[in-house]
Amino acid sequence: MIALPQPDPQIVQRRTEIVAALKHLVPDGVVSEPAGLAAYDGDALTAYRQAPLACVLPKLKDEVSAVLALAHEMGVPIVPRGAGTSLSGGALPRADGILLSFGRMNRILDIDLDNRCVTAEPGVTNAAITRAVEGQGFYYAPDPSSQIACTIGGNIAENSGGLHCLKYGLTTHNLLGVEFALPDGERIRCGGKAPGGDGLDLLGVVTGSEGLLGVVTEATVRILPKPPCTRTLLVAFHSVPDAGACVANIIAAGIVPAAMEFMDRRCIEAVEVYCAPGYPTTEAILIIEIDGLAAEVADGVARINEIARASGAHEVREAADEAERARLWKGRKAAFSAMGRLAPDMLCMDGTIPRRALPAVLARMAEMAKEYDLGFCNVFHAGDGNLHPLIIFDVMTPGELERAEAFGAEILRLCVAVGGVLTGEHGVGVEKRDLMPEMFSEADLAQQQRLKCAFDAAGLLNPGKVFPTLSACIEQGHAHVKRGAMRHAGLPRF
Amino acid sequence: MATFSVSSEAEVLGAVRGAREGSRTLEIVGHGTKRDFGRPLECDDVLDLSGLSGIVNYEPDEMIITARAGTPVAEIEAALAEHNQRLGFEPADWGPLFGASANSATIGGVLSASCDGSAAIRYGRCRDHLLGFRAVNGFGEAYKGGGKVVKNVTGFDLPKLFCGAMGTLGPLTEVTLRLFPRPPLIRTVAVTDVSRFAAMNLLRRIWSSPLEATGLSYVPKVSGAAFGALGEFGAGAALVRLDGTDAALSEKIAMLRELVERHDVIDLDGGDRTFRKIASGESFAGMLQDVWLVRQPPYQPGDYEESEREAAYQDMWVADWAGALIWRAGTPGKNGAHLHQMQKLSGGSAQLIRASEQTRQRAQVFAREEPVRAELTQRVKAAFDPLHLFNPGRMWEGV
Repeated sequence: MIALPQPDPQIVQRRTEIVAALKHLVPDGVVSEPAGLAAYDGDALTAYRQAPLACVLPKLKDEVSAVLALAHEMGVPIVPRGAGTSLSGGALPRADGILLSFGRMNRILDIDLDNRCVTAEPGVTNAAITRAVEGQGFYYAPDPSSQIACTIGGNIAENSGGLHCLKYGLTTHNLLGVEFALPDGERIRCGGKAPGGDGLDLLGVVTGSEGLLGVVTEATVRILPKPPCTRTLLVAFHSVPDAGACVANIIAAGIVPAAMEFMDRRCIEAVEVYCAPGYPTTEAILIIEIDGLAAEVADGVARINEIARASGAHEVREAADEAERARLWKGRKAAFSAMGRLAPDMLCMDGTIPRRALPAVLARMAEMAKEYDLGFCNVFHAGDGNLHPLIIFDVMTPGELERAEAFGAEILRLCVAVGGVLTGEHGVGVEKRDLMPEMFSEADLAQQQRLKCAFDAAGLLNPGKVFPTLSACIEQGHAHVKRGAMRHAGLPRF
Repeated sequence: MATFSVSSEAEVLGAVRGAREGSRTLEIVGHGTKRDFGRPLECDDVLDLSGLSGIVNYEPDEMIITARAGTPVAEIEAALAEHNQRLGFEPADWGPLFGASANSATIGGVLSASCDGSAAIRYGRCRDHLLGFRAVNGFGEAYKGGGKVVKNVTGFDLPKLFCGAMGTLGPLTEVTLRLFPRPPLIRTVAVTDVSRFAAMNLLRRIWSSPLEATGLSYVPKVSGAAFGALGEFGAGAALVRLDGTDAALSEKIAMLRELVERHDVIDLDGGDRTFRKIASGESFAGMLQDVWLVRQPPYQPGDYEESEREAAYQDMWVADWAGALIWRAGTPGKNGAHLHQMQKLSGGSAQLIRASEQTRQRAQVFAREEPVRAELTQRVKAAFDPLHLFNPGRMWEGV
C-alpha cells in the first residue's frame, strides 16, 4: 500500500486562514466542515481515502483563476476533481491541499453543428454532451463506462477511452481545443474549431496530463454523425486462447470494429448472477460491434462470422433488436459491479499489450492468480489490447490488500515486459506511480518532469501523482536538473 | 560550418554533446526538402539525420511500425503497401513545392512539419498517429516518449508535442506510428461546376454525414489549370473520396448523390494522385507568389463574403479538409499581418509555407502567440533545449 502523505503541518496550521480566503473568493462554494469534506475523501480507487483541507466549487472560470492564484501565493497544493470517478487515484485529495471541484461548472456553452463541435464547461458530464446533440443526429464518441457521471474535464485530464475507442479514438483524438489555467491562475487557449496550426501542440500534452500541467476551464470537442447502422455480435469460445487468437485475426484482417470486448468465464458467471444478460456459460466471450452504413456493416459482420468460426468459436449470436443489443452491453458494462459483489474490495488493472501477446499474457495471469491465491477475472477492450484484470480481495483480511497490489503490479510489469504499457486509459495517478520506472528510464522521467516544471515550477498542481520522485525545478535549466532532490521538504508525497 | 552526418542514436548523442560543449547551434535536417520552411536559420553546424534510416520493426498484425527518423516516407509506404496497410494521415510530400525532388522527404521531417494529407479529415493528423519516439534533448540525453501500443496514457503525451514542432525540441531518432488497413476499393468523384460557397456547403454536408469520406477538397476555376481536366469543370470541382468494399461503395455513392442534389457527379480516375497533389502544395510549385496555409473552422458565417475577403480568392487557392484547410498564393513579400489578423478573427491561423528568405525573416511565419502562451512556449522549449541548440528561432524568436 502506498502510504498516504504526511500533511505539511505549516499548511494545515493555516487552514482557517485558507478557508476564509476561499470563502472570500467563492462565497457560496466552500466546503470546510468535516462532515461535508467526508463526501470528497477519495475517488474510485476506493482503497485510498483522505479528506482534503478544504473543497472549493467555483461557478466561473475567473473564480477558478482566483482560487489558483490564491493557492499559488500561499503555497498550497491543488487537486482538481471532476466527478471523482478516477480508477487510479487521480482525484485523491490531500490533507494539506485544496480540492478544486468542477461540480458546479456544468453548462454547455455552445453547440455548433456547422463545425461539428460542442463547447462546454469542464464539469459537464460525458453523457450530457451526447444528450445535447443526439436530437440532431450527432454524438460524442469517447464513452468511458462511467460516462453518466464522469466529466469532460476529468476525461481530458485522464485522456479517457471507452468501449468504442478502437474505431473512434481516445479523448485526445476527439478534443479540438481547451482553455486551461496555469498554477498562477493565468489562462491559455490552445486548439479550437480550426485543425491545429497554432504553434506547439500544447493541447496534446495537456490532455492526459492528470491535472499536473494545468486545470482545464473550458473544452471544445468534436461530435460525430450517428452511424445509421449498428450490429452487435456475441461470440463464444471453449478456450481463452481461441478468443485471443480471434481478436488478433480480426485485427490482422484489416477490420476495425467499433468495439471488441472480452470477458472470461468468471466474469460471465458473475455478470449472469448480477443482471442476467443471457450470456452462454462458456470459457470466454467476445462482444463485437460494427457500425457504419448498412452494406459495409453487413460485410463486416459476414467476415467476422467467418473469422470467428475459423478461430474456434462455438457460437456466434447477433443481437436481434435494440433491446437485445442493450442487454449484451449491459452485461459488459456491469462487469465491474458484478465482480464487486463477490468480494468487498477490488482492484482494476489497465495495462495495454501488443495484441499478439494476448494468449500468453492471459495464461500467465491465470498462473499468477493461483500464486497469489486471489480471485480475479478478465474483462477488457480486446481490440486495442487494453487489459482490465479485476482482482477481488478483502481489505479486512490481513495481507490481502498487499497481496492484491503485488499481484496487480506483477501484471503491469508483465505488460511492460511484452512491449506494452502500464496504463491504457485509467491513468497513472497514485496507483501506478511507483511503477513508472518499469516503463521509463531515468532520462525519460527527467524529461517529463522538466515539462512539468515548465507548466508548474512550484509543483502545486496535483502533487504526489504520476511521478515516483519529485525533482527540483531550476528556472534557468542550463544546469542539469538535480534529480531526486526533494523540493519542499515539508511537502509530502503519497 | 560543419555537417554531422549521423547514422545511429549514439552518433546523434555525440553530435549534440559536442554542440553543448562548444555552444554551437544545430540545424536539424533529413533530406532537406523543407529547409526553406519556417523562419530562416543561421546555425553554426548541420545535424544531418538522413543516414539514420531504415525500418526498425514492422508488425503488420499489430498495425504498428517503428522506423528511424531519417527513413524516407516513400520507403515506409512501400513496405506498408506490401501488407495492404497505410499511414492514416496520408503524409504530404512538400518537397516539390520547395523545388526539391519528390519522394525524398523523411518521416522525421514530415512529422516535425506536420505535413498532413487529405485523409486526415477522416483519420486525424500525424499527431494522432505518432505513438512514441526516441529523441535526444539539449541536456545531451537520449530518451523516449510515449509507447508502442495503440492505447497508452502512461506519462505525458510527448509525441503530440513533437508533431509540428519544427525540430525545435531536438532531433527525433526513432518514431513509432499506428497503421490502418488499406480499404479494398477507393473511389473519387468530382462534383462539377460548383461555386466556392456552394462547394463549401456541400463538402461540409458530406463531412457531417455518415459517409466517412477520406478526402473532401475543392479546386476552384482559378486554380484549375494546375489540375488538368479539373480545370474544365466550370466554376470549380468539389472532390470526394470514399472507400470500402464493392457493396459499401455502391451504397455510399447512392447516398452521396442524394447529398449533392442537382449537381453533376463524375468519376475521377487517379483520385489519390489528385488528393496528394492538393495536400503537397505541388500545384503552387512553379509560381513566384508566396504560399500560405490557412487553417480555419470549416464553417465561416455570412460576413465571410465581405469584399475584402473575396479579394483573397482572386489568386490561386485550393481547399482541403472540407474547407478547414486552405492553400493559397499571395503577393510576394507581404508580411502576412493582415492575413494573420483575419484568421485570428475567424478562429483559425495562417502559416507562411513558402517565401523568400527575406520575406520569412520579416514576416510572421507562424501566427504570433498571446503573451502568456508565448512565455509558456519559451519555457517548454527550454525544458527540452535550454541552450537553444536546435533550430533556434525557426518558429518564433527564441523558439
